[in-house]
Amino acid sequence: MKVSFPYMGSAIVYKKLFEFLEHEVIMPPKPTQRTMDLGVKYSPEFACIPLKMVMGTYLEAIEKGAKVLVTSGGHGPCRAGFYGDTHRNILKSLGYDDIELIIFDAPQDSWRAFFRNVQKIRNGVPWHKVINRMYTLYRFVQKLDELEKMVQKIRPYEVNKGQTTQVWNQIQERFDKIKTRKELYKVYEECKQLLFSIPTRKVDEKDRIRVGIVGEIYVVMESSINFGIEEILGNLGVEVERSLYLFEWINDNLVPWILRPKRFKEIIKKGQRYIKILIGGHAVETVGHIIDFKERGFDGIVHLMPFACLPELVTQSLIPKISKEVDIPILSLPIDEQTGKANMLTRIEAFIDLLKNRKRGKTKEVFIDNIQEHVQEERVVMV
Amino acid sequence: MKIAIPHSLLYYYYFPLWDTFFKELGFEVVDTGPTTKDILDKGSKAAVADICAPIKIFTGHVIEGLEKADYVFVPRFARIKKPEYFCPKFMGLPDIIEGTVEKSKGRVISPIINEKNNENISSPRGYEILIDMFGFSHREIRLAIKRAEEVFERFKSLMHSGLSCDKALNSYRTGRWEEDLGKVKKDGDVTIAVLGYVYDVYDSFISMDVVKKLETLGVNIKTFEMVPQEVAYESLKHYRKRLFWTFSNRVLGAGLYYLKDPDVDGIIHVTAFGCGPDAIVGRFLQFESDVAGKPFTTLRVDEHTGEGHMVTRIEAFVDMLRRKKWAKLSEVL
Repeated sequence: MKVSFPYMGSAIVYKKLFEFLEHEVIMPPKPTQRTMDLGVKYSPEFACIPLKMVMGTYLEAIEKGAKVLVTSGGHGPCRAGFYGDTHRNILKSLGYDDIELIIFDAPQDSWRAFFRNVQKIRNGVPWHKVINRMYTLYRFVQKLDELEKMVQKIRPYEVNKGQTTQVWNQIQERFDKIKTRKELYKVYEECKQLLFSIPTRKVDEKDRIRVGIVGEIYVVMESSINFGIEEILGNLGVEVERSLYLFEWINDNLVPWILRPKRFKEIIKKGQRYIKILIGGHAVETVGHIIDFKERGFDGIVHLMPFACLPELVTQSLIPKISKEVDIPILSLPIDEQTGKANMLTRIEAFIDLLKNRKRGKTKEVFIDNIQEHVQEERVVMV
Repeated sequence: MKIAIPHSLLYYYYFPLWDTFFKELGFEVVDTGPTTKDILDKGSKAAVADICAPIKIFTGHVIEGLEKADYVFVPRFARIKKPEYFCPKFMGLPDIIEGTVEKSKGRVISPIINEKNNENISSPRGYEILIDMFGFSHREIRLAIKRAEEVFERFKSLMHSGLSCDKALNSYRTGRWEEDLGKVKKDGDVTIAVLGYVYDVYDSFISMDVVKKLETLGVNIKTFEMVPQEVAYESLKHYRKRLFWTFSNRVLGAGLYYLKDPDVDGIIHVTAFGCGPDAIVGRFLQFESDVAGKPFTTLRVDEHTGEGHMVTRIEAFVDMLRRKKWAKLSEVL
C-alpha cells in the first residue's frame, strides 16, 4: 500500500512506523505556504488551522502518489475528532474516490472498528515482529525526544549561530536510517556526543530565561505552522520546553491507564484547579502545564492555539486570572492562515524583553560551566 | 433570595424548567431580559476577543444579572446524552465566567448537567450543589425538579406541534399554552427550515429576528425544535459516527429530516461567527443539501453584522425559492 499521513512534529517517527509494517511510504512534504493555500481553499472557512493544514498535506501527498491516508480520530468534544470524516467528505467531493482514509478512533469507542483498522495497517506482518518493532519504535521516539529536549537547552547558548539547528537536522537524518534497536542506541550515544561538542558560552543564572510552550497539540508540535517558535526563542537566547512531546503523548494516551505515568495525572489535577472537568482537547493539560512550569522555575509561558479553537478559548479566558494568581507572564498567540511572521516575531521579542526585565529584579549568582551536566540533570526529570 | 437567569444560550430552551424549579424552591427569579446594546458591550469588554458572539453575550448577561440579583445561574453543561457532549465552551462556562467576570466569585450557581440520556435535565443529582449552598433537603430538590420537568414536557410538546422556541416561551410566560397553537403561520407560499442553535436564532441581537423577518415575507418557518429528538437521531443513522455535540446532532438531524420533507423548499443555516461545531455541521448540511437538490444558504452573524445586508440576503433567497416553485408549477400546468 502506498501510505501517507499528516505531518505533525518529527514526521520521521510516522515514517518509521509504516516502514516497520513494510508499507511503501509516501513521505508528505513538509507543510509550506502552498500546503496552507490548498488546505484553505477546500476546507470549511471556520474550521481551525490544523484541519486546513492537514487537508493541504493530504492533497500534496495524493499528488505524490499516496493511495492510503492514515490519521487519528478522537472522542472528545473537540472538533479534531471529526476531522477525518470531514476530510473524507471533502476528498470525495473533489473526486478522489480511490483514496482510502483510515481513521483510528479511540479503541474504547468501537473495538471492532479499531481492530479492523489494525489488521489493514498490519499488512500481514506476523504479530511477534509487529510487537518487537513497535517496541523499537517506542524507544526510537523516546530517544529522539530526549535529543530534541537537549537541542532546546543548548541552542540558546551556542557560540556559532545556527550550529545546533544544523546538528539537529543531521541527527534527524541519521535517525531516519535506523533499522534495529541496537543501532538506535548506538546512534543515540553518538548524536549526544555530537550535541555536547557544540561550543557554548557561559551564562549567568540571572540572564538565563526559560519559557514553556503550551497549547493545542498540532500548533505546539508542528513547527511549520508555528513559524518554528522554538528556534525563534532559542535564537533569542531562551531555553524552551514544550508541554507536549510525542513520547509523552504516547505514554499519556496509548499506554493503558494503570501504566500511565503519575506525572500525567498530576498535571491533570493541577489543571483542574481552574477547569473543573475535562472539556476535550488539551485545555486542562494546558492549564496544568502552566502551573507545572511555574513550579519548576520557568520565567514565562507562550500559549499557542488555533484561532477559534474551542477548548483553548476556555483556557484563554482564564489566562489573565492564572497569570495573576500563579505570578507568571503568559503570551497567548492564536494562529490561523492570516497570522504573519513579522507580527508574531515582534510580540515574542517584546515578551522576552519583559521576561528579562522581570528577571533582573531577582539576582542569583550561579554559572553554568558545563552544559553537559546542566542538560543531563534536567533530563532525569523526564524519564 | 434573588437569582438571575441569563437570557442567553440555552435559556431559550430550558427557561420554563429552571424558572419553575427555582420558584418552587422559593427563589425570586430575575430574567435579565432580551439582549441590548449595553449588555453586548459589557460582555464584549469582559470576554476574550476571539470567542464567539453567544459567549460574549452570555458574559454580558451574567454581569447584568450580578447587578440585579444576589446570585447568577451558570449551569455547566457536560452532556445530556451519552456518548455525546456539549461544545467545550459550555463545559467550561463557569470557568470562563470566573476568569473573565470580576466579583463573580461565590455568587455563581453552577450545577453540573451530566445526564446519560435525559433531554429534560431533571436528575436531582445534578442540582445537589444547591443543598450545599442553601441547605435545601434532598426531598425539596427532588419535588421541585419533578414539578419543573412536568412543565418542561408540556413546553416541549408545544414545540413539537409546531411552535418555534420563542413562541412557546411566550405561551409559557402568558400561561396560554395550547391556545397559541392556532396562531402558527401555515398559509405562506414557501416553507423554509431555519436551522441553528436557539441562542443564535432567537437572540434578536445576533440574528436580528430572522424568523420574524421571514414571516413578514410570507414564509412558513420550520425549526429544529419542532423535530423530536428521536426523529432527528433517526435521520442521522447512516453516518459512521455521530457528532460529539448533542444540539449539533439535533440541528443536523432535523436538517436531514427536512431535506426529505416535500413541504420544505429551502434551508437557511444560522450560525455565529467562529462557532466551532458549526464549521462541521455547516459543511455536512451543505453537502447533503447538494445531494438532495434543495437550496441552502448560510447566515453567518456576529455582534457587528449589519441589518441591511441580512435583509437583502434573505429577500433574495426567498425570491429565488418562489421563482423556482413557480417555474416548477408552470411546467406541470
